[in-house]
Amino acid sequence: MLSIPFANLLTEPVGVAHYVTVGAILFICGALCMATKRNALGVLMGIELVLNGANLNFVAFGSRYLRDDANSLGLDGQLMALFVIVLAAAEAAVALAIALNFYNNHDSIDVDRADQLRG
Amino acid sequence: MDPASTLPILLMAAWLVPLASFVLIVLFGKYMGPHGKGAGYLSVLAIITSAIFSLIAMFGVWLPNHELPTSGHGDHNGAVSSATEESHAPTEHAAEHHETEHEYPNYSGDWYSLGEFGDLKITIGYYIDALTVAMFCMVSVIASCVHIYALGYMHDELHEPYIDHEVTLSSGEHLHRKGRFYRFFQYLSLFCFSMFGIVIAGNVAMVFVFWELVGICSYFLIGFYIERHSASAAANKAFLVTRVGDFGMLIGMMALWASVGTFAFGDMKNEQGEVTEKGLFSLLRPEEHHHHLAPPPGMIAEEERMFAGDPDGESVPAAVEEEHNTAGQWLLLIAGVGIFCGCVGKSAQFPLHVWLPDAMEGPTPVSALVHSATMVAAGVYLVGRFYPCFSPEALLVIAYVGCITLFIAATIAITATDIKRVLAYSTVSQLGYMMLSLGLGGWVAGMFHLITHAFFKGLLFLCSGSVIHAVHTNDMTYMGGLRKKMPITAYTMLIGCLAIIGAGFPLSVYGLSGYYSKDAIIEQAWSFASVNPQHAILKWAPVGGAFITAFYMFRLWYLTFAGKPRDEHRYDHAHESPRVMTGPLLVLAFFAIGIGWPIFHVNDLLEQGRPVGTLASTQGELLTNLTIPSEHDSHVPIIKQPAGIAAFSTALAGLLLASIIYLWRLLNPDELKESFKPLWGFLSNKWFFDELYDYVFVKPTLVVSHCAAWFDRNIIDSILHTAAAICRACSAVVDALFDQTVVDGTVNTFASGTWSLGLWLRRIQTGNLRQYVMFIVIGTVALFVTISIVQAYYIPTN
Amino acid sequence: MESIYWPSFFFFLFSGLACAFAVAVLLSSNIVRMAFYLVLSLGATAGLMFLAGAEFVGAMQLLIYVGGTLVLLIFGVMLTSQERFVVMKTWAGDWVKAFLAGGALLFILAYAAFSIPEWRGIERAEADAVEAQPSVTPIAMGLLGARTDDPDGSGYLLPFEIVSVHLLVVLIGAAYLARAKRSRSSLEKL
Repeated sequence: MLSIPFANLLTEPVGVAHYVTVGAILFICGALCMATKRNALGVLMGIELVLNGANLNFVAFGSRYLRDDANSLGLDGQLMALFVIVLAAAEAAVALAIALNFYNNHDSIDVDRADQLRG
Repeated sequence: MDPASTLPILLMAAWLVPLASFVLIVLFGKYMGPHGKGAGYLSVLAIITSAIFSLIAMFGVWLPNHELPTSGHGDHNGAVSSATEESHAPTEHAAEHHETEHEYPNYSGDWYSLGEFGDLKITIGYYIDALTVAMFCMVSVIASCVHIYALGYMHDELHEPYIDHEVTLSSGEHLHRKGRFYRFFQYLSLFCFSMFGIVIAGNVAMVFVFWELVGICSYFLIGFYIERHSASAAANKAFLVTRVGDFGMLIGMMALWASVGTFAFGDMKNEQGEVTEKGLFSLLRPEEHHHHLAPPPGMIAEEERMFAGDPDGESVPAAVEEEHNTAGQWLLLIAGVGIFCGCVGKSAQFPLHVWLPDAMEGPTPVSALVHSATMVAAGVYLVGRFYPCFSPEALLVIAYVGCITLFIAATIAITATDIKRVLAYSTVSQLGYMMLSLGLGGWVAGMFHLITHAFFKGLLFLCSGSVIHAVHTNDMTYMGGLRKKMPITAYTMLIGCLAIIGAGFPLSVYGLSGYYSKDAIIEQAWSFASVNPQHAILKWAPVGGAFITAFYMFRLWYLTFAGKPRDEHRYDHAHESPRVMTGPLLVLAFFAIGIGWPIFHVNDLLEQGRPVGTLASTQGELLTNLTIPSEHDSHVPIIKQPAGIAAFSTALAGLLLASIIYLWRLLNPDELKESFKPLWGFLSNKWFFDELYDYVFVKPTLVVSHCAAWFDRNIIDSILHTAAAICRACSAVVDALFDQTVVDGTVNTFASGTWSLGLWLRRIQTGNLRQYVMFIVIGTVALFVTISIVQAYYIPTN
Repeated sequence: MESIYWPSFFFFLFSGLACAFAVAVLLSSNIVRMAFYLVLSLGATAGLMFLAGAEFVGAMQLLIYVGGTLVLLIFGVMLTSQERFVVMKTWAGDWVKAFLAGGALLFILAYAAFSIPEWRGIERAEADAVEAQPSVTPIAMGLLGARTDDPDGSGYLLPFEIVSVHLLVVLIGAAYLARAKRSRSSLEKL
């Protein structure tokens, strides 16, 4: 049964791998968002997505429903996820302040114009 | 009280208190009251403390423990008994037997040993006898008076800013500077410390150290008004001229040490009172020779070595007992004359007398203390202290130097118009008297004159300072008639003048202090001349000097205080000095009158301090017809009466001449000056000594130094420049061959490599945020791939 | 045929929504729409968290992310768009490069996840046997430094305090950074 991964998706409980895959998709979307968006706020949303994907992984590793308890992170996973949420909020505030400043200085939030640090 | 233990402590205390004052003023002088006023009081307090200690040492310890000798009591009437006894047989043989000479007490020891170099011990030691204690009292009392006087005299220095009217700046204004009140007293304290150090010193090396210290104090004090060109030049002159004498002193010290091997004056005793190390005096005048001067074997060997060119000096001659043995006498003469050279410099004797008159550029209290009463007397004191080591020939040299000095200086004083210079030449002349007396065998007379002279010359200088303070000039031609304005100064100065000319009732015991000491000197001179007829000039010179002294001293007094004022403006502004200045004048005037009186026993005290073995008349070894007579021989009436009358009559003649010319105006001084113009010019140019020295020493030195400078500039410099050029050429070659290729090449390669690497890396840094995110993603993928490959192929799975 | 295991069904539902809206965020070029899709994606993720048994974290996800952070973002959008919904086009080359790199990474991650047998899930019976436990109290105790679930584990009091201070500092810093300043143009006028 385990040899065919997707044979009985709906009848059997999902595992950590599924969650990790979803987290990976969210992560990739976020990363690509950061890589492609020229709008600074878009980049910011990409970061949120990336953090969210990571958060999902933490929750999955700590969950008792998805795998044996022996190697589970247990409550630590949820606590980590909480801290990540808090830090993400803080990061969002600072990033927004930076974006506003950038906008004040450049009359735009196009990150491609922020290339003063190029070598 | 045991004098052997208490005297060193008392005198050391008196010695070190001024040092403490000096140190305190150096460190905190600026902060002592407004403009450092407290420094003056501190210094006065210190010297008065010293005076109290000295007086305790004298009246509390010395006099109660040592009975004064009766033989020397009253050289005008009492000494006849012993002297007549000797006069029957004044030969050397008789003197040896009849001389009732006691060995008077002295205390010597070491406080601290600075170091031992083979046989030579350099120590801080003391040698205390009656002379030491007397000198301590004299110096501390006079210094106290001068310190108190200086509080008033230097009052101008308390003003801020002090205006020096004798210095004109290039802008035409007078110099304004900060007051230096505290610094003056700082130097005075240092000077007192140094002077006490000379007096108490127990060995020649220590004397030399403090000798130089008083020299440097003198330098500081002469140059106190450093902004005045004349003052700084005078300070330099004094310093350099005395160095010439000190060079001779060093030679004398070396001769002594090489031959005798010790610097100490007295014998070192251990606790049991046994002699452990013999001092100079007992080595040179051994007891077994009845304290007659005899060169020790070391000295004879050294002389042999020197004159025979025998470097080992092994051949010690056995013939010491031979009559008229000259062995070692030459070296003894060298040592004696060498030490005397130092005294010549310090006491301003001919031919080094030129510095003292110039030294009058210093403030007047300095002139009174340093350049008349104490420091210049230190030379005389050293001759007196060193007296046992002088051979008769060396004494003759001393006598002639003193004789020449007293005459030359007295003649120059006649023409001087600067009030302080007259006194300066007078000082030189009086020092000459002392040297003459010592050289003729009159130890007590010379030392007595040293002490009386210190008091009345200090008085005279302080009076002149008071006058200068009142009229703001040194020039006597602007003075006159001042006795009505400043009576205390005038009459105390009159006392000083009378004392210096030796006023008294002839052939009696009544007179001012100078009367006793000066008559004693002249008597000694006559006594000497009666034994040595070939040296008759030594008999007449002091008598002539007495005439000149009386003349110029009263010329000074008449010009200053008598007659009509020659400068009305200055006369109107003149005023008597404040009490802080007249007080010391009165004290010193009291001493100037009375210090010589027999009831004060100064003479007897000095008799007690006479070095052992020097009373007996001695015969020259090199000059066989030279006899130094016993001092007691001068008290016989056959010498004493004519000498006393001669001294009195010449002094009276000088006084009358001065009165005729300057008081009663019977002869016009200007007409006299015209008619004796060549002589007057010769005298007023000070016998052309300065010019002579200028031509003989200064000019040749300048020529030599110009030659040396030319040599330096042209020869040495060109050698140096050539060497430098060669060096530069060599380094240029090395630079081109090695530095610029290898070293620079290496460095440049590294630099350009770094540069191009940076340029290449610069292209990655686009500054584009999105690109950086891409790098992160690609980097993560690459990391994963790499780890997977490594895990798959290189880490064994089990 | 076994009956449908409803948690799995909801998992696929929520994961599909989350992934779809995430891709929508990626592909959309309108910043306002992006924000809207992001809200939906994050909400779906919160559902996934509920499914994993982390009710408290899921609730926080909804409250903080959806309710706080997103509002912040919307404010940012409103404050910075001077023209109506500015469109900033991304060059096609960037898209291609991004998708290549992203695809590769996704493949690697998914492959790695499914290559571990223990991660593929547990038996249904086993899952049914798991007793639901409330997680709020243990989390609260953990944050206050006392672990009720794991006596050997360490508490999180210190990180909690650090994070609190951090948050405070960040808020002050953000306020400082974003405070109203004279723009360059107005400076030039002076």
